[in-house]
Amino acid sequence: MTTSRGRLAVLFVVAAMGALVSSLPFFYMLGIAFESHALVLKQPPTFLPEQPTINNFVRAVTTAGFGRAFLNSVIVSVPATALGVLLSSMLAFGFARFHFPGNRLLFYSLILTLTVPALVLIIPQFVLIRQLGLFNTHWALIFVYAVGGLAFNVFLLRGFFEDMPQELFEAAIVDGANVWQTFRFIALPLAKPAIATVTIFTFLGSWDEFTWALTALQNPDLYTLPVALRFFQRAFGTEWGLVFAASTIAVIPVVIVFLAFQRHFVSGLMLGGTKG
Amino acid sequence: MQSIGHPWLRWAALLSTLALVTAACTATPVTTPAPAPTGQPTAAATSTPVAPATGTPTAPTAAPTASEPTPEAISGTVTYWAAYDQVGPEFRTMSEVVIPAFQAQYPGVTVDLQGIPYDDLRQRLITGIAGGEVPDLLRADIIWVPEFAEQGALLALDQEMEDFDELAGQVFEGPLSTNFWEGQYYGLPLDTNTRVLFANRAVMEEAGLTEMPTTVEEFEAMMAAIAELGPERYGYAEGGTGAWNVLPWIWSFGGALTNDDYTTSSGFVNGEGTVAAVTKLKEWLDAGYLSPSILGGGSPTSEDIGGGRAGTVLEGPWMPPIFEAQFPELETELAPVPAGPGGSASVVGGEDIVVFAQTQNKEAALAFLRFLLSEEVQLEMGKVGQMPVLTSLSGHAELPDYFDTFSQQLETARARTPHPNWPLIDEALGNAVLEALRGDKPVQQALDDAAATIDGLLQP
Amino acid sequence: MTSLASGSRAAPTGRRRRSQLRRALPIYLFLLPGLGLYALWMLYPLASALFMSFFDWQLVRASPFVGFENYARAFADPLFWRALVNSAGYTVVTVAGQLVLGLGVALLLHERLPLRSFLRLIYYLPVITSWVVVSLIFVYLYNGQSGALNWLLVDVLGFLQRDVAWLAEPATALWAVAALGIWKGIGWTMVVFLAGLQGVPQELYEAAAIDGAGRWPRFRHITLPSIARTTGFLLVALTLGGLSVFVSIFVMTQGGPLNSSEVLLTYMYKQAFERLDLGYGAALAYIFAAVFFLIALVELWFVRRRLT
Repeated sequence: MTTSRGRLAVLFVVAAMGALVSSLPFFYMLGIAFESHALVLKQPPTFLPEQPTINNFVRAVTTAGFGRAFLNSVIVSVPATALGVLLSSMLAFGFARFHFPGNRLLFYSLILTLTVPALVLIIPQFVLIRQLGLFNTHWALIFVYAVGGLAFNVFLLRGFFEDMPQELFEAAIVDGANVWQTFRFIALPLAKPAIATVTIFTFLGSWDEFTWALTALQNPDLYTLPVALRFFQRAFGTEWGLVFAASTIAVIPVVIVFLAFQRHFVSGLMLGGTKG
Repeated sequence: MQSIGHPWLRWAALLSTLALVTAACTATPVTTPAPAPTGQPTAAATSTPVAPATGTPTAPTAAPTASEPTPEAISGTVTYWAAYDQVGPEFRTMSEVVIPAFQAQYPGVTVDLQGIPYDDLRQRLITGIAGGEVPDLLRADIIWVPEFAEQGALLALDQEMEDFDELAGQVFEGPLSTNFWEGQYYGLPLDTNTRVLFANRAVMEEAGLTEMPTTVEEFEAMMAAIAELGPERYGYAEGGTGAWNVLPWIWSFGGALTNDDYTTSSGFVNGEGTVAAVTKLKEWLDAGYLSPSILGGGSPTSEDIGGGRAGTVLEGPWMPPIFEAQFPELETELAPVPAGPGGSASVVGGEDIVVFAQTQNKEAALAFLRFLLSEEVQLEMGKVGQMPVLTSLSGHAELPDYFDTFSQQLETARARTPHPNWPLIDEALGNAVLEALRGDKPVQQALDDAAATIDGLLQP
Repeated sequence: MTSLASGSRAAPTGRRRRSQLRRALPIYLFLLPGLGLYALWMLYPLASALFMSFFDWQLVRASPFVGFENYARAFADPLFWRALVNSAGYTVVTVAGQLVLGLGVALLLHERLPLRSFLRLIYYLPVITSWVVVSLIFVYLYNGQSGALNWLLVDVLGFLQRDVAWLAEPATALWAVAALGIWKGIGWTMVVFLAGLQGVPQELYEAAAIDGAGRWPRFRHITLPSIARTTGFLLVALTLGGLSVFVSIFVMTQGGPLNSSEVLLTYMYKQAFERLDLGYGAALAYIFAAVFFLIALVELWFVRRRLT
């Protein structure tokens, strides 16, 4: 089996080189983040800082507003993800496992809204949060983020629930379980991989969203990370070391979430997402 | 591990509940209590008002006039938005000196200052107007005033303020005129500025130059000498082709954007003087005098001059404090824009202070507005690069020396077209100059096309 | 739960329909929270936006009703067509790039390579990095005077004679942003393809190996057909992503130079937030939605007909 081993070695080299090229921009960012002085536009570009320092990271963390923004992003993203995942799995379960008048109509009108870019809704959603008294609160972000990914999540999850064996549910019906109980105790535990997948998507979407957060919040104490980062970049001008240090810190939570759910991620997509 | 369904959900529910509670707690607007008037010495409060050079006494504008309520009777929060960098010297002086001094005088009033980057500020104002959530006061770019006034978003101050005429009489006429739209004044000037020629002294010495140019011919010779120094060395760097960038040259070459009534641009934006100016810019670019960064995609011009790659730039009065922080080694020489056939003409910039029609707290907002126009505050902000608009302060000893060049330039500087469609006019001009400089179109044709577009935009 | 079977084909009588609805009541209640929030936060704003598109929307004053004028304006607006063409170009290039490279990487990492999970994470990193951040990094890479890309192409490889301002050249700006789009999307495409590849029955390969089929025929006749549904899903999802490009263009070129990178969403955004022409912006949004909807329908039809 030497040919197989040799082949794997070649493939590994190719994959590793691709990974290197793909991550070059990040090395560039990290190099700048660890660079001690601000004048970063040097030619040739240096990936290894000449005088490495963690000064930028210390400054980023201690700069007024950054720690607060990090916390705000957690405060917004976690409930938005929980709410979004719960609602979309309930909807997908209902659409997948029940026949009722309006099933297809409701499902397809939900899917139809996938064609509307989120940006379109900024002004009317802004008026809405004013009417509901949610302007300048994190609720405005939580609801919009939870609902923003709903259609896509339902689309992913419905196929997953459809593929579950019917016998499981028939047994539950015989035992007299209601809709919620069947969902809660039978479907949901089996849907773990798919849930992991939509969790990653929803969390990512909430963590990175910029335009709506900028519009719905006015109090700097409530800013989330993308808004704070942008303000950071504007405020510190060419101090890219600081900006990129802050950016690096902002990436860490998504890496953690991805690593935590990664094992289920692929299988979740396999079972759910690829169904038409 | 297999049945994470239940605990997972429980966790999610717990987490979300926790987070929601926290969110609800932080959602209440944070109002910082007004600092105690005692034991809080501030620069504005301690600096004794200096009599203006002319010796004529001026009314203490900070104090309310007889018809206004007393400071103690006014209370509430005034939200004030300004395009200040949150770490910049202007923001620091405003939040650490000016506002505490005001709050000491008006113990019942809290000023909530928000420094918002320029581009973001505009978008938030628009969504804010749409949703009914705007600040009480705004430090507005002078070119925004007609646009927001046209939208019906601003209070006409000449009707709202009994002492409007008095205040208007104390400020320069040019900046005041930027508040005028359709027969009414919607604001008062807050600060003014213009662009003058900055040169890097080290680069000048390297090129064997000792004198700042006064004419376009001398400027050309200077650029040639600097460009000689080597590849990637430029006489002059400009950050773009928009009106703010190229109008000094257009005017100095005797060109114009529109007629004096702002009703037509044909014969002006494509007239002889404008064509001559743009043709000259193209010559400079092709000769390597002018940095290609004018076409975009390069570094900020401040880095060009700071790093010695370019010899000169046109910049505003806020730049010296920034240069000092970013390029401590940089020494600059200042001079008015080199004079061409149309003389030395630059472009007027600056900010106005406007009150939003939706304000809930007009009295307090107007009190703070008056305070911002007082000599003490104007002087204090002048020290961080904001040129005062009070005529009484011109040439004041406490203001930076470099303001002299700007004051001199302001005598001939002109305003951009006050029109609600200004952003579109600006874009049409910028695109035409860019096309001409890139060589996509002959200069005359590019500007003819711009004239057709701008004529359409000027129609009511 | 076919116990709640839908009524027969025959038109139900009033009583039957009522009982049908009553039996479906628990499921309606179950769906209510999701649908209710969705109606409030998506459908209601959508309807408001549609409403706005028929007005010359004014921020404060009364807005005059203009009927379909905003829509007619779009079709007569050369910049709208420019944005549409640019969006189409961006989408075609990024979808193709992501599909090809994503599949390539997925095939590599489907093999039992050492450090496989780590490599997957590396390829996935761009996906989970904020658009604002990656756009800023690329602005630096593309700098026209001393950016890393120019250094590589001019000073190291010698492919170019002089520095190019990638984001300031009308000929290159859109494609420079598209390159970022591809780079950022490879990881996501890879993960979805990996999921699809896991579903390919191993017996098929074994059978083909016995038949002595080479690598290419195996890929062509086993792998590709087996992941057709995955590919179809990706095609639609990536098209949606490509047509929705906004933050990267907004941060890197603002649609310039000379509108060469103006896409539908940046153009709509400018109409709404820079020109205060909210009604026109809303009309553009609806046209855009219709365009995507048609494209999605065509793609789905293609996937059904040709791939499966």
